[in-house]
Amino acid sequence: MSQRTERRGIHVDQSELLCKKGCGYYGNAAWQGLCSKCWREEYQRARQKQIQEDWALAEKLQREEEGASLAPFSKFEEKKTNEKMRKVTTVKKFFSSSTRHGPQKSCSVVTFVFPSIACTLRSLCILISMQHTRALPPSLPPMWSAGLVEREDRTLRDWRGIFSPSWEMGSPTEDSQEGKSPSPSISRQASMETDRASKEFLEFLKSMHRPGREIHKQCRAFIDGMANKKDLGAEELSECVQDFYQNLSDRLMSHFKGSSESVERVMDQVEKYIMTRLYKSVFCPETTDDEKKDLATQHRIRALHWVTIEMLCVAMDEEIPEVSDNVVKAITDVIEMDSKRVPQDKLACITQCSKHIFTAIKITRDEPASADDFLPALIYIVLKANPPRLQSNIQYITRFCNPSRIMTGEDGYYFTNLCCAVAFIEKLDAQSLNLSTEEFERYMSGQSSPRRPLGDGWAPEDGSAPQGAAAAPMNPVLAQLHRNLEPLSGLSVRQDRLMERARGLQEELVSWEEGVRREVQDILERYPLEIRPPPPSAIDTENAESDRLPPPLTPQVFAG
Amino acid sequence: MSAMRVDTKVVMLGKESVGKTSLVERYVHHRFLVGPYQNTIGAAFVAKPIHVGEKVVTLGIWDTAGSERYEAMSRIYYRGARAAVVCYDLTDSSSFQRARFWVKELQNCEEHCKIYLCGTKNDLVQADKSVRQIDFHDTQDFAEEIGAQHFETSSKTGNNVDELFQKVAEDFNDSVFQLIPPGEAGVDLGQKKDSYFYSCCHNN
Repeated sequence: MSQRTERRGIHVDQSELLCKKGCGYYGNAAWQGLCSKCWREEYQRARQKQIQEDWALAEKLQREEEGASLAPFSKFEEKKTNEKMRKVTTVKKFFSSSTRHGPQKSCSVVTFVFPSIACTLRSLCILISMQHTRALPPSLPPMWSAGLVEREDRTLRDWRGIFSPSWEMGSPTEDSQEGKSPSPSISRQASMETDRASKEFLEFLKSMHRPGREIHKQCRAFIDGMANKKDLGAEELSECVQDFYQNLSDRLMSHFKGSSESVERVMDQVEKYIMTRLYKSVFCPETTDDEKKDLATQHRIRALHWVTIEMLCVAMDEEIPEVSDNVVKAITDVIEMDSKRVPQDKLACITQCSKHIFTAIKITRDEPASADDFLPALIYIVLKANPPRLQSNIQYITRFCNPSRIMTGEDGYYFTNLCCAVAFIEKLDAQSLNLSTEEFERYMSGQSSPRRPLGDGWAPEDGSAPQGAAAAPMNPVLAQLHRNLEPLSGLSVRQDRLMERARGLQEELVSWEEGVRREVQDILERYPLEIRPPPPSAIDTENAESDRLPPPLTPQVFAG
Repeated sequence: MSAMRVDTKVVMLGKESVGKTSLVERYVHHRFLVGPYQNTIGAAFVAKPIHVGEKVVTLGIWDTAGSERYEAMSRIYYRGARAAVVCYDLTDSSSFQRARFWVKELQNCEEHCKIYLCGTKNDLVQADKSVRQIDFHDTQDFAEEIGAQHFETSSKTGNNVDELFQKVAEDFNDSVFQLIPPGEAGVDLGQKKDSYFYSCCHNN
């Protein structure tokens, strides 16, 4: 029985969580089941391979081009002229030929258009591969590269217009510039975010004239300076950034006589700009054990999957749809924190999450929540969400956020609560859940689960599970699953209907085709095509006034 | 997101159900019926501007979870606080023991933090003297010993509540004038990060 109950919850085998390479660290689904280190290696290797393949493709295309058209690309212009000539002749032919040749004309135009499209596509293909390698293959003849570059510009402009977003995303420019590329998805996002941050920052500074220029100069200098300090420990990096904040705000205060509000506004923007830029090198740096702590916390939260809302004395009733709605939102928010780059954005996620929790408590209890209600609820949310890289994020915020924010303001309050929640989860023991030590051990080892204590009306699994699921307090995940199933089944019904009608349409089409064929046949039978022998083609037969002509000359024989 | 600038952090400490939240509720909603704090759905964090002379000081009042469960975490809460209101129930002697515990903690960890001892539920004591378990004069002596201010308040009647927070704001204002030149007053960038910035939740 106990074994059976154990399997009820979502059970993930230990080995599934570990890195697929077997290095002993935990893997992550986002990294295809590898740990961050193995993933980095794997990604580098894949990238190398990709580059090589692109080269091979480019060379292959080059050979094909040379073989097929006889004219290597060095005669690209010539080829284009040929095409033009062909076009001219086609047009000439069209005008000179009689109307009966109409269809042929469009055909020839098509054949003209086609090679040019094919050509564009081919060069585009090469271009893409070259974008990857960021250099023209040295083996290409110089003329080709020149022609290509010229064409590249044009084609790029055209194609960029069409594929703008995906093209931007696909361009790994950022990678090669920044050198370090932890994962493709991050670097992609990175280039866009960096650009946007820079643009916004400049836009903001424009309104400030002289101080704006000064601020921008200082920030640039600082970021450049930080590039040389990659080897420093996290604490030193933090010190550098904090000193920079301090100095800049002091300077703004004394030099430009800014009010404290406006200085704060500027500093917010500065933080946004700088941290978007530095994020990659200072978030979870290798010099710290942040990553190890992340994994430890993640593991710990997984091990505590059995903790119920009652054990934590949380004043939220998830049976109320509005409450569970807010719970889901809160979970989403706290998970989303990891995707933000700027400390204040991360803080905003935490604040958002907290607000949802407050709403949930308020709906349940119908009175504003106090800290006594809030903290347990937040702990519960963190346990449910198991946010990615939680420790790294907390450390990152602590190190690089403007101190006034985390020390005093509302964001700071919620951040502190999150820190408390994490600390609580780390230290959590039997006493803090009002459990006996034996119970706690049993739950931790997975021997039993508090959700379905023995003899709690939960029938054994054989057959009666659906009833149990309907009656007993359901796992919210299961409830969500059930809720999701409904629209899904609706969708499948609609799809069936669609399929039916599509089939009907198909049948109709077939019968229509047959009908048309029959009609044509009928008409053909009714008016059979008879081929009359061509009229005797005598010269001048159709000429009506031929009799007016003088009699034909007859050969006369002259004697002599 | 609240864009309100907060000058200082005031933590509310005290055993569960001594009335920390009520105290804050009473204070905030009694004085200002309209203001940005009205938007807060919870009473856990409140930003409250207070007039001190000609200046306005904004207190960020942090409610904390008082349950013993979270005792180990309370250090994270009062880290960097400039003032702590340690609450105890006038009708519950065990709550005063807990208050002593927090006072000791604060003295050990946050030497810059001013302590305000606050007895709550004074209205009960006024109605029936026999329910009082904490002697006023004993507490006064204790307060003097630790260099703290002492108030007995009632959130129900509002007795002494405003005075308490007014005193907190005034003391903060004075300390700012002592510590930092007036030009920089109120900018928290002035308080540079200390060691506690790095020891968030893995270090206690």
